[in-house]
Amino acid sequence: MDRSRLFGLFLLSLALSGAQALTPAHYLSLSDVARLQNLLSQQFTDLDSAYYSVVGLTKLGASVPDHEGVCQFLKSQLDPTSVDSLFFAAETSQAISGCEIPVSNETRDLLLAAVSEDSTMTQIHRAVSALSSLGLPLASKEVVGALTGRINKEDNVMAITSALQTAARLSQQTELGGILEEIEDLTARLDDLGGIYLQFEEGLEATAMFVTAAYSLSDHVDMEPPLKEDQVIQLVNSIFSKKSWDSLAEAFSVASAAAALSSNRFHVPVIVSAQGPASVSHSQPTLQLLVTDVMSQSLASANVLVESAYAVASKSIILSQAPFTLNDGVFELNFMSNQPASGYYQFTVAVTGDSRLVGNHVELKVKVSTEVSVTNMDLSVVDKDQSIGTKTTRVDYPTKGKSSFIADSHQNFAMSFQLMDVNTGVELTPHQTFVRLQNQKTGQEVVFVAEPDSKNLYKFELDIAERKSEFDSMSGTYSLHLIVGDATLENPILWNVADVVLKFVDEEAPLAIQPKTLYVPKPVIQHLFREPEKKPPTVVSNTFTALILSPLLLLLLLWLKLGANISNFSFTPSTVLFHVGHAGILGLMYVYWTHLNMFQTLKYLAIIGSITFLAGNRMLAQKAVKRIENK
Amino acid sequence: MSNSVISVISRFLEEYTTTTPNKLKVVDAYLLYILLTGALQFLYCLLVGTFPFNSFLSGFISCVGAFILGVCLRIQINPQNKADFLSISPERAFADFLFAHTVLHLVVMNFIG
Repeated sequence: MDRSRLFGLFLLSLALSGAQALTPAHYLSLSDVARLQNLLSQQFTDLDSAYYSVVGLTKLGASVPDHEGVCQFLKSQLDPTSVDSLFFAAETSQAISGCEIPVSNETRDLLLAAVSEDSTMTQIHRAVSALSSLGLPLASKEVVGALTGRINKEDNVMAITSALQTAARLSQQTELGGILEEIEDLTARLDDLGGIYLQFEEGLEATAMFVTAAYSLSDHVDMEPPLKEDQVIQLVNSIFSKKSWDSLAEAFSVASAAAALSSNRFHVPVIVSAQGPASVSHSQPTLQLLVTDVMSQSLASANVLVESAYAVASKSIILSQAPFTLNDGVFELNFMSNQPASGYYQFTVAVTGDSRLVGNHVELKVKVSTEVSVTNMDLSVVDKDQSIGTKTTRVDYPTKGKSSFIADSHQNFAMSFQLMDVNTGVELTPHQTFVRLQNQKTGQEVVFVAEPDSKNLYKFELDIAERKSEFDSMSGTYSLHLIVGDATLENPILWNVADVVLKFVDEEAPLAIQPKTLYVPKPVIQHLFREPEKKPPTVVSNTFTALILSPLLLLLLLWLKLGANISNFSFTPSTVLFHVGHAGILGLMYVYWTHLNMFQTLKYLAIIGSITFLAGNRMLAQKAVKRIENK
Repeated sequence: MSNSVISVISRFLEEYTTTTPNKLKVVDAYLLYILLTGALQFLYCLLVGTFPFNSFLSGFISCVGAFILGVCLRIQINPQNKADFLSISPERAFADFLFAHTVLHLVVMNFIG
């Protein structure tokens, strides 16, 4: 029975979490809109910046200063032989009142000629827009044909977005089904980043222009674009997460997207945010919410209500279907009238009243703060042997106990108190309830935690003998402070309750407090170079060198005695060469020891050795012949 | 007991001086020299310590190697062993001796440090 209930709950929670829609994380706040307007209001020096500035400002709903000046500028900068120039001038002139761009037949022909499959998509878009803005007739079917043909050739995002924009300027009767399908294709090309952002890899400008174009075309044909609610919100996050824009074109694209998302016929993302911190208390009993569109324009026609509100700690539902009232552009709800206990509450707010609203279920965490009071503070010194206290002294907040309390190692110091909510009289258990004892002479602090028992009565007991290590066994007068704090308390308490004189057994002479010398420079380490090994004294080694050379003398003596001689030495060239070569090899050995490495030695040895070998071979052969002859 | 040892030694010395050819005696003198040199090196090492150990090793191995090569040469040029070394003439033995020494000295010089 229990297991099936648990399973049911599990499924329900899954369903609920699935039903929780994404809500926008980024939008243009009022300061962001101001910054955007600032960027777009800069002085423009050429036609395209004029276009971005003027049309961008218009989209944001800001006024363009000096229409006359702008018009003059447009007329002076216009180059009637360039499609781009005509586009910028024509579009800008539409945005300001009373500006007519003069059009000639050549201009019209030029623009009409640009509408063909051979021009680039940008050219087609600009030509069609210029024709439309200048009030010139255009053949919609031809345009559609050119667009379709061009889409096949230029498959990139910006080109197709331009195609969508162009299609939105054509007459209502045109068959635009093929172009409309491109919206869905482009949506498929968006990159989903972490389920929060949806954007083109081409960047912010492409994403923003796509949104503008998609809604512009959808409004034109009165068909809902194939974008799901979550996708719209992800697009909102991507477009409005960047708060400073690199170029006029980028700023213009963001302004266009903001305008498109706040006033199209299908999807209007809603931004719900608390005015100030989302917190209520007795002094401030109303929860105030701002409900706006992505451009921070207030949605005054909306109905805002709390679907449910439950306490985070106890999960008990405190509100259900409670409406907000609109007061001076802000939606208000007097939450304190429900007498909530202090703590955190999870609100689910729904914004209704317009079928276009997207992201209109918002989760909000609201804090209810209160004030705390300390009551029934009783201090006593208890003998360890008896549990009966000697005397209990009641101290009232915020006064300090009149006399000091004296406690030694045979006694315990005890404290009990209650913490109550001032407004409701309910007992509170705040996060921080500390008792701090500070030695008045040395400044040493020891902090303990006071814990509540089952009846929410706070108790603190200090066993003097047991805790002497924390105090470093230093007797003396300690000031006792009570510290109470919590996120939901408006009045945290730091109260010097009384003075306590502690007497410890085996007291050491009061040492001056040595702050832990962690950060003092350590003694310098001198590098010890590797000691060379102990060598024997030079006398010894010299003696032994002489000793080792002595057998050589013995050898020479013996050879002399034996009658070894070199009388058989024949001065044939091979003999001489051999002996010279051999001496060379021995010399090479010495040079190897002193200067060379193995490779060089082997090289020289090869040369000298081969000579010596050949000469030696000759010499020994001659010797052998001589020996055989003598036999 | 000592008497017989002394008599053996004196007999050996007598036979040695009379029967051994001069050439071999020359080589024997050389071998004795090498032996003494090696022994003295070892004595130094025992007394004073192995400080430049690689030098000691190379010196000692040089003596040992030279002694061995000397013994080989002596065996090969001894006329009494001619039957065992039919294809190797004394000159050839000497040439081998020289070549082997070259290699030995190369190694020793490398190691002496």
